[in-house]
Amino acid sequence: MTKRLTIAIYDFTDCEGCEVVLSTLKENLLALEDRFDIVNWRLAQDACKDGPYDVTIIEGTPVTGDEIALLKELREKSGAIVALGACASIAGIPGIMDKGEREKWYKKIYGPEYKPIGVDSLPLAAYVRVEHMIHGCPVNAGELVRTIEELASGKKPKYRDYSVCFDCKEAGNTCRLLNDKICFGPITQGGCKAVCISGGSPCYGCFGLREDANIDGLVRILRWASSPKEIRGHLKIFFNHIPEYKDAFESALKRGRTKRP
Amino acid sequence: MKNIYEPVTAEIVKVERQSKDVLLFRLRSKGGVPFGTPKRGMHFTPGQFMLAGVWGYGEAPFGIASDPYETEYIELVVRRVGDVTGAMHLLEKGDTMTLRGPYGNGYPLEFFKGSDVILITGGSGIPPIASLIRYIIHNRKDFGMVHLVYGAKTSAGLLMKREISKWKRKIDVTLTVDGPECDWKGKCGFVSDCLTDIKVNPANTVVAMCGPGPMVDSIEQLVNPMGISDRKIFISMERRMQCGVGRCQHCVTGRKYVCTDGPVFNLDEIDRNWD
Amino acid sequence: MWCIKTSEKEKLLTALKGAYDFRDVSSSDLPPKKLFFPEREITFTHLVKDGSVTTPPPPRKFVLYGLSLRDLEAITCLDEIMSAPEKDYYYFRRRRRALLIGVTGEAFDVPPGGDIIISSIDADTSKLLSVTEKGERAIKKHLPRLKKSKSPQAVPVKNDTMPDLRNLLMDAELLKVAVEWSWHGYKKLWEKLSRECLGCGICTYVCPLCHCFAAEDSVALSGDEAVRCRRWDACTLPVFARLGGGEDMHPGLRERYYNWFYHKFVRGYLEFGRSECVACGRCQRDCPARIDIEAVLLDIVSAYSKSAQRRRRYR
Repeated sequence: MTKRLTIAIYDFTDCEGCEVVLSTLKENLLALEDRFDIVNWRLAQDACKDGPYDVTIIEGTPVTGDEIALLKELREKSGAIVALGACASIAGIPGIMDKGEREKWYKKIYGPEYKPIGVDSLPLAAYVRVEHMIHGCPVNAGELVRTIEELASGKKPKYRDYSVCFDCKEAGNTCRLLNDKICFGPITQGGCKAVCISGGSPCYGCFGLREDANIDGLVRILRWASSPKEIRGHLKIFFNHIPEYKDAFESALKRGRTKRP
Repeated sequence: MKNIYEPVTAEIVKVERQSKDVLLFRLRSKGGVPFGTPKRGMHFTPGQFMLAGVWGYGEAPFGIASDPYETEYIELVVRRVGDVTGAMHLLEKGDTMTLRGPYGNGYPLEFFKGSDVILITGGSGIPPIASLIRYIIHNRKDFGMVHLVYGAKTSAGLLMKREISKWKRKIDVTLTVDGPECDWKGKCGFVSDCLTDIKVNPANTVVAMCGPGPMVDSIEQLVNPMGISDRKIFISMERRMQCGVGRCQHCVTGRKYVCTDGPVFNLDEIDRNWD
Repeated sequence: MWCIKTSEKEKLLTALKGAYDFRDVSSSDLPPKKLFFPEREITFTHLVKDGSVTTPPPPRKFVLYGLSLRDLEAITCLDEIMSAPEKDYYYFRRRRRALLIGVTGEAFDVPPGGDIIISSIDADTSKLLSVTEKGERAIKKHLPRLKKSKSPQAVPVKNDTMPDLRNLLMDAELLKVAVEWSWHGYKKLWEKLSRECLGCGICTYVCPLCHCFAAEDSVALSGDEAVRCRRWDACTLPVFARLGGGEDMHPGLRERYYNWFYHKFVRGYLEFGRSECVACGRCQRDCPARIDIEAVLLDIVSAYSKSAQRRRRYR
């Protein structure tokens, strides 16, 4: 139960905010260094040992050919791959890009000479097997510590089985949906402490879909007060990047509007 | 006020491998069975269970496998499936585990007395049945014909083989594996196939069962042809639970709680559950 | 019983605020249960180095102020639930340290619970009722010169939250029979509700009587200590009734949402002789899918009654 594991921490295209959460864990970071050998972490240390690694934590979305190749190489070298943050787990902010529009914007922003290196923006799991995903944009420090604790104590890391609504009620918020405001809390995995809703923002679902989420049921409610365009606009931030999620929402939106009770 | 959730610490005095993913733990605390004073010589009723745990990993229910008359220790059989059992599998002799219990009702021993008993189980469902067999052997003259039918996918999945071979002197035993194996001398096929071979007097027979979900689900097809009344068929049910005292709501089945009303129910009770 | 002026009431509250931790829950979204059974609490801490096991210290004595009559009733009911078959250690060590003060403008015959109830009669006068000895002692200690008065009549104001459900609860036996019948007898309803319910768990969190919980164990990153924690769970969530091997005893929202009703109106009735509901209205107010729980229960009872009539005719 106390075997020292080797950890590598890599990042692809992203804002590095989740690594900032990791590097500001204070005493927990010290404990982490005590329990694990962090043998490769570009952002925080000089030492960069080549694999194999017991656990590789990857932040960010692989968008270039090089990043995708490195990801596949890391898969070979790693006992387990853990996605850190929404970019790695559900393609996050890079995933917002519209592939069809890409050429146009390249030309407009970088000029006709620019040779694009971006291939696509898909989550890690689109390319390799991922053992666990630490959700969030950025990740919640408490959930991050919990996951590392579970890894350190030889458990299989677990996803939260409750929705954001638990965190939201615990935070004492009034339900946005009851005020006809868009919110993806009921279908999103909990653990975030409902920081967005407490701060007056909607839940965009950065923690990913929770198990058995009733998407049809939520869209039915959202449609009472919001247009499909508005709903799609909110979906675009996080829920559009995984085909299964997108399809589920689109088919729910096709059902049309029901009468409000 | 007593903290009903506080477990006792029990020492592991023996670990015995039963199969690739199953270990048997012999546990004692303060020099003996880790709970209460015995009633009529018994420390618990066969069919009762313990909530055993490892700090930091949680607790889970386990049917007690040992002899209820045993005063020195209790035995639990643990299949590795999740965090708690995974942590238990790393424990060795001399390490400790936590224990709470015994909980639940156990098999209705007084009701069984004077009857023929058919014991049906599969895979890792053997522990409570093992305890019941030990009780029966201890009071052998109170019972008529006793027949254990025990099945597993493979012969390696049959647990407590050494004990079973000892029991064979006192009760009838049929062991069966799902598919044929070259060095297996027992029966092949499902438990249900073996039941048709047993001659029973339905009016004077009780059935005690503890098995994996699919076996319990098919119990009616299994036992109906034997003509035994639903109220004489007793099944130990499996549920996950957090409290053991009928509060956390995880183990509910219809009107009942598996932890306090069960885990042993008769088939008639189970049939009436909506879930 | 006393008749007090607002100034005396203020004096009492000021004195109580000085003597106790004072929690005013009159405007809280979450039910008062959270003061005795918090969303999360550490139940045990185990130190690896010496094997010691400790429970965190209990809270200071506190006043729970602003409870409605229905909340008082709910606490009375939850006390009973948490006592069977043995007292819940964590609940009662908080409960015993609490002085419950109900505040109401409603009339009542029998106080539904609490230690003290303050009912307002008019703008400047309130009726002060000590329900328990603990309440009486607190009043005498902090308002020592108060003279007992003859029973003054509080202005009878009716609570209009879920009046129909309130009526239904009077016949808990009928509710029990009807809800139990509805699983097979009114499948269409549960089919419909399973599409509408989001399974978010909010109804269970805001219910003053829902009390299911999950235990969570963790080993600190340092490896030095292990912590066991219990937190509110919700029977509408997917993992709630799943077995170790993966089989789910309540595989869909239909089973999960029905189980919530079943517990309150069937199993709860069988255990405690009453529905586990006080018609406080929170679940209905806070349901994001706007499921009208009162209407659902009325619908079930009416469908059951019709079906029962039909069956009688057949006989």
